[in-house]
Amino acid sequence: MEAFFFSIGVIIAGGTLPLMLHRHFTLMKTVGVLSISAGCLIGLTNSLFQLFRPETDAVSFKYLHAFSLSFVIDGLSAFFLVPVFFVSFLAALYSFHYLNTPEKSFRTAASYLFFSLLIASMTLVVTAANIITFMLFWEIMSLSSFFLVVYDYHKIETRKAGYLYFVFSHAGAMLILSAFGLMYGFSGSFGFDGAAILPEWVKIVVFVLAFAGFGSKAGVFPFHVWLPHAHPAAPSHISAVMSGVMIKIGIYGILRMYVALNYHAPLFGEILVIAGMISGILGVVYALAQQDIKRMLAYSSIENMGIILIGLGIGMIGMSSGNPLMAVLGFAGSLLHVLNHSIFKSLLFMGAGIVIKKTGTHSIDALGGLMKKMRITGMTFLIGSLAISGLPPLNGFVGEFFIYLGGFKGVGLDKLSFVLSLMAIISLAVIGGLALACFTKVVGVVFQGEPRSESAVKADEKEPMMLIPMVVLAALCPIIGVFPKAVFLMAIRGVSALNLGYGRIPFSPFLEMTENISQAAAVFLLIVFCMLALRFFLYRQKTITRTGTWGCGFTRPTVKMQYTGSSYARSITDFFKPVTALNEDHPAVQGVFPAKTYYSSHARDIAERYMESVFVHPVLFFFDKLRWIQQGDIHPYIGYILLAIVILLFFV
Amino acid sequence: MIHPVDILLILVLLSVLFAFASSRLPVLIRILAFQGVVVSIVPFFLEHEMTAGGIIFTTATLTIRGIIIPWSFYSMIKKMGIKREVETIVSYNASVFASLLLIVAAPMLSHKFNMISFSGGTLITSTAITLVVAGMFLLMARRNAIAMVLGYIMMENGIYLIGTALSSGAQHIVEFGILLDVLAGVMIMAIMLQSIKQKYDNLDTAQLSKLKE
Repeated sequence: MEAFFFSIGVIIAGGTLPLMLHRHFTLMKTVGVLSISAGCLIGLTNSLFQLFRPETDAVSFKYLHAFSLSFVIDGLSAFFLVPVFFVSFLAALYSFHYLNTPEKSFRTAASYLFFSLLIASMTLVVTAANIITFMLFWEIMSLSSFFLVVYDYHKIETRKAGYLYFVFSHAGAMLILSAFGLMYGFSGSFGFDGAAILPEWVKIVVFVLAFAGFGSKAGVFPFHVWLPHAHPAAPSHISAVMSGVMIKIGIYGILRMYVALNYHAPLFGEILVIAGMISGILGVVYALAQQDIKRMLAYSSIENMGIILIGLGIGMIGMSSGNPLMAVLGFAGSLLHVLNHSIFKSLLFMGAGIVIKKTGTHSIDALGGLMKKMRITGMTFLIGSLAISGLPPLNGFVGEFFIYLGGFKGVGLDKLSFVLSLMAIISLAVIGGLALACFTKVVGVVFQGEPRSESAVKADEKEPMMLIPMVVLAALCPIIGVFPKAVFLMAIRGVSALNLGYGRIPFSPFLEMTENISQAAAVFLLIVFCMLALRFFLYRQKTITRTGTWGCGFTRPTVKMQYTGSSYARSITDFFKPVTALNEDHPAVQGVFPAKTYYSSHARDIAERYMESVFVHPVLFFFDKLRWIQQGDIHPYIGYILLAIVILLFFV
Repeated sequence: MIHPVDILLILVLLSVLFAFASSRLPVLIRILAFQGVVVSIVPFFLEHEMTAGGIIFTTATLTIRGIIIPWSFYSMIKKMGIKREVETIVSYNASVFASLLLIVAAPMLSHKFNMISFSGGTLITSTAITLVVAGMFLLMARRNAIAMVLGYIMMENGIYLIGTALSSGAQHIVEFGILLDVLAGVMIMAIMLQSIKQKYDNLDTAQLSKLKE
């Protein structure tokens, strides 16, 4: 435990020192990055060590005599600490060259402060052992990430996105707080352990409230509205951390509540599977319809949260129907996906960050041909895209495959569980296919073909500190994919902390099955590479003509002839028309000599549209009626205070 | 027989009524000076042992409360040349009525605070509550910035009284702490008042709302 707090101390030091050094830009960044990444490394080794230790560590500090701040590192906490420290470490390295405007020196220093606070609060949230501690650090996490999102506060969209995030995270916190309040009201203790004695109906209410609250952080449909706004607005290393690990803290919260309530109702699993299917499918459909590269990655995060929720739901259904094998496969699969998603999603955000930084545009359809100029970025982005689509032999496959296996175990159950397991399997397959379409679109349009705009022509990649983290992450994808045993053991340690009360479960057949598929795919890839090498050698002496991509044999091809991302996605988004209404703007071509025309389209999120009419307008209407309270003169305010004092003194 | 402290406290309560009825700044300042003096000599009549240090502290309090603060206000309004009426939000009559209500209600309230077990008079808690609430009322009900500061001082007198009643052992340290706070507060307010005056040529705080966006 000391090592854990020491690492947090080092990380916080990495946040505060830059504030003092903000006059020396490079020195400040060096100190901040070194200290934060060193702290993360210490924390990472410590949490790996904790993960494989049989006993749990606990520590408690008295605070204000009324309650205590207590922390516990059990298997589940340690499992979530690993991606938090790991991704933050790489994001800190990445930020060294990413934040390279010396004019914004002080702002950069402040951003390091909030970054260190975000890392520290995330680690403290997952180790918190009572509701006060949890809530305290949960708030610090929400606030520090809010300040990181509004880094570019002079842009109005950024401020709007920040505001939206602020509202959502606090509405979510309110729901969590009400769940905790119920827990405290019925159990009388601040600890999570006390929740096990609640009456059953309270447990259900607490779980549903907590699910909505944590779901708003995790980006579960329909509480995801902030996510596709906040992620594009934030600097890319922050998006990587937020999407890679911070939204997983919501998943951690759901799991922690499940453990604490210790109540295996089939309802919980059903809620999670249904929510997971909806956010998975809608997430990937919206991702497909996006034109902003970071928005698309944000929607893809929603999709992956859906996959994780399906896994958790399958685990809970397995638990409630007394099928421990299904439970373990579901939980282990979703924990594996938590880890894997944190790896490839942060990789993709970092890649998108370089592309945006070098070309100055977010729009997928304005890019193209970047593979030639940015070879490392392109290759790592490709690997990340393959991994996120769940293809073997990369890591995304491993977690999803375990969830599939869990789902197949549930097919033998009765009625509703059977239907849900079957639907979970089908929707996982649909999600996988659509994700593949989505990422072929991005890779194909951004990295292949010819540059579609001036800015895409001048792109380059020179900064090693931005490339190294991406290479590390990209290397991890095949390594975990081909040798999943190590991460699988980690996930099993995490699952065993859920106290499911099962005996020894024979996992090794499933692990072997996964390994076999991955390794077969790896062998297949190797053969493909061999063939390519062979082709290279055989054609060495011959003349090879190279022309522009999508040239289609024309003598004078132009870049405008290329396939665009929107047209590629169109056939799929048309199929999902009820949920992806496109706002199109396209003056028709008329006459013999038509005037210059254009086409623009924008897919509207169904949750966003209904949130406005169902929720925002009534709330605004109500609070508009209370405007007279704010007079702007000091005397009424003193009057309010006086009134409050008189009421408190005389009537309470 | 009436306890001597109670006589002092009745004087304090009367001064509240006067303060609420007075329409001119110099009068208001004089009333507050009187109130300060009376409040500061209360410890002399309470039946605990006065140490030498206690006497020094109480005298210092008396000087600051009764002389320095009122005098600085006096010189300030003289310098600024204000002798006008104190503009009100709640009228004088209504203010007096409210303060009467408060004086009647405060003793009922003081029973709620059962913690006070000292040998002095019976009125001390209720007077203190009256002073705090009345000071706040003055803050709210007057537009003139100096009158508002005087309301703040009245609140502070109430806090001082409560402190006297509650802390028997280390009372002087507490009181002196409060006193330093007030002195600093008054100085800051004096500076702010001068700038308001320079900017808007009067001390109506309603002008400050022009500073809003």
